[in-house]
Amino acid sequence: MDILRALGFRVYPQKALPVYKEICVLTIFFLLLTPIMHMYRITDFMIFCIFVMSFDLLYGYLGLLSFGHVLYLGAGVYISVLFSIYINSNPLLSLLAGTLGGGIIAAILGLIVVKLDGASFALVNLAFSQIGYFLVSSTFQELTHGTDGISSRVEAWGFLNFSNEYITFSFILISMLLVFYFLRKLTSSPFGVLIRSIKENETRVTFLGYNTFLYKWITFLVAGTIASFAGGIYTLYVQYVSPTVLNPLDNIEPILAVLIGGAGNLYGAIAGGLLFMMMKDWLSSHFAVWQWVLGIILLIISFWFRHGFTGFVMAIRNYQRKKAVTYDQDGV
Amino acid sequence: MRLLQVDEINVSYGRAMVLHDISMHLNQGEIVFVVGRNGAGKTTLLKTLMGLLKPWKGSILYEGEKTLGIGPVKLAQKGLRYVAQDKKVFSGLSVKDNIAIAAYSNAVSMPEAITNVTSIYPKLNDFMENKAGGLSGGQRELLLIGRALVGHPKLLLIDEPTEGLAAIVIRDIFKILVHMKTENISAIIVEQNLSIVNRLADRIYVMRDGHIIKEIDNSRQTEDSHELENYL
Amino acid sequence: MVESVVYGFTLGAILYLFSIGLSLTFGTMKIINFAHGMAYTLGVYFFITFLRVIPGAFSISALLAVLCMIPVAYIVERLIIRRLYGESLDYAIIATYAVLLIGTDFIKFVWGNVPQQVSDPVGLSISIFNFLIPVYRLIIVAVAAVLFVGINILLRTTIIGKIVVAALEDADGVRCLGVNVSKHFSIVFIFGTLLAVLGGILYAPISAADPYMWLSILLIAFAVVILGGMGNLNGTFVSAFVLGITMAITGRFWSQAADTIVFVVMAIVLIFRRRVA
Repeated sequence: MDILRALGFRVYPQKALPVYKEICVLTIFFLLLTPIMHMYRITDFMIFCIFVMSFDLLYGYLGLLSFGHVLYLGAGVYISVLFSIYINSNPLLSLLAGTLGGGIIAAILGLIVVKLDGASFALVNLAFSQIGYFLVSSTFQELTHGTDGISSRVEAWGFLNFSNEYITFSFILISMLLVFYFLRKLTSSPFGVLIRSIKENETRVTFLGYNTFLYKWITFLVAGTIASFAGGIYTLYVQYVSPTVLNPLDNIEPILAVLIGGAGNLYGAIAGGLLFMMMKDWLSSHFAVWQWVLGIILLIISFWFRHGFTGFVMAIRNYQRKKAVTYDQDGV
Repeated sequence: MRLLQVDEINVSYGRAMVLHDISMHLNQGEIVFVVGRNGAGKTTLLKTLMGLLKPWKGSILYEGEKTLGIGPVKLAQKGLRYVAQDKKVFSGLSVKDNIAIAAYSNAVSMPEAITNVTSIYPKLNDFMENKAGGLSGGQRELLLIGRALVGHPKLLLIDEPTEGLAAIVIRDIFKILVHMKTENISAIIVEQNLSIVNRLADRIYVMRDGHIIKEIDNSRQTEDSHELENYL
Repeated sequence: MVESVVYGFTLGAILYLFSIGLSLTFGTMKIINFAHGMAYTLGVYFFITFLRVIPGAFSISALLAVLCMIPVAYIVERLIIRRLYGESLDYAIIATYAVLLIGTDFIKFVWGNVPQQVSDPVGLSISIFNFLIPVYRLIIVAVAAVLFVGINILLRTTIIGKIVVAALEDADGVRCLGVNVSKHFSIVFIFGTLLAVLGGILYAPISAADPYMWLSILLIAFAVVILGGMGNLNGTFVSAFVLGITMAITGRFWSQAADTIVFVVMAIVLIFRRRVA
């Protein structure tokens, strides 16, 4: 790590708050939401936040923009559902199957995709997302019932009865916190520093002797697995799924969420996920044609608010502390 | 008024600082060399002077006007030229077309531009229709310098012209640089070949780790390169 | 089978027209232009509207539609592409996608969601080797061929063409000679956009127009451009036809797989390609 620092990569200091405090803050925040919104809605939001966090790992930390991350969410959904129907209806096993299945797909596709540069990477992932949609809605129609959709057969197991909204909410909240904890640990570890350095200047990291392909692949794998995990959880309480979870047009959603919230930090992912979902809810219930608003927001972000909501907050804090934002003089 | 005045420029690549408080100047007609080890920031300096990079601090005055933010296009139109270290030509185009682009942007007629280039390097006449990508390193450098001289430029920024070239080509380049001096064309040249530096330089800047550590007045034209080596 | 091959050539021609702009914009400015799909769609809707106003006048409506798209292309280039160009590829992609979202909703708002049909302007078929082939489809292929030759000539003989070729390789090098590369890139961008509009108009009688018609062609065009090489117009020509014919033949045997086979081909090529795409 010191080598990286000496060569000019900024090494982020350890976070001031220990992880446990952050988790408490998040728990309290989400619990406070319950009187405001319907519990199932918050559950949907939390799943989306997990999904966005996985995307942020890939884009915010490693710097790879994928236009096809929805594939893994959908893979998690469908593999879990199919497992619960055809093999075993235990909820945890289905969840595990969905997560692992999506992870395997990420591992395989990652080998192809991770060596591509920015533009191709974005597009090839979109292509795979399209292939995934096609496979589920057409090719494997007998298994998946195509566009008709399919009902989940997950049963209760022990106290995990997902038709009870409190249990569902708690389970998913805990899942989200676990993912947060895992990603927080991962991104502040040397691995996290390494992938951030790769984002900044991959050639330099290669010169230091690191196999950047391996690290990019691992990151892709982790991001895909967590996205599949989110999909698997979704299956647990939703009765019925259809190929719309794999709609390639939805690939812009995690991108927009991450940009709104601020890329490259986990709070940003959660904030962005929430803000995006709430915006989408509000817009779609008030206007028949509303995606252009997302377009305008994207434009505003692309030109003026690149660091999103959390960036905006940090800028205000810096201004208040009268800290001038300058370049590091010696790369430390 | 000096042709070029650089005051305390600081340039970064991303978060890494590459140039620290660099100050230098150039008078009309001077040939100034910049020497230093690899990684000292010499190429960055030339790129910044050409407007390809922007310093976040400091100022550059060319003919008395600020150049920050102007960009390479306008600077080239004002008489600045840059020959990069990688000796990149437009390999997909013929040699003639390479020159044509320079002629077009300087509103110079093709015959004149071709004469410009071939007077420096007559052999190029044989290669006019060939794809520029097929030229050897030395031929490319000569084409690049010739092309840079189209349109009567005032200041050439040349990055390691003799790197990787055979002695016979180096002699040709040396002759061109001498010729430029007689035409009162100024130049800032990054060079590792100390004998050329010593024989041509009016002044020499020595760089290390992004700083200029020494300015040497070479107008006494000594053959002695020991003093220079001490700094490298 | 022969009809499928001819259809494949037709598809290839349309893909080529559409992909030129994408390939050029990427080769010159390193920007993936999602808004290209929006231009394609909007151009077709303009064309359909003109056709309704002046029934039967295919060529004139087409010309008017293309003319209407010039200011649109210019605005997108000026306000969005030029500002993001060179800065960050990511935000450029995202901003062009935003334009796509806005444009699509605009179309839905003005013209509604229902697919629109256009009839074959030529309406004739000729008989070659006992197969009945619509003349119109042959015309499309001819247009693509003419363009291919024309573009190559332009690039080789005009100074603008030479500048573009040089800038595709080394834009900074061209700038350092004093050429205003950005202006030339704007021209290239508008030209590429208009070609896509033309492609859309030509394709309209074969397929219906709907606000999301850009989705399938945009994805396949990306495959065409990736396979042909970003900025490599001759490569784009070849890959457009290869993929078009692949799609048509696949579509004959397994209709829904037509789109997907393209990506499978792309994935295979990418696995075995040694240099990074």
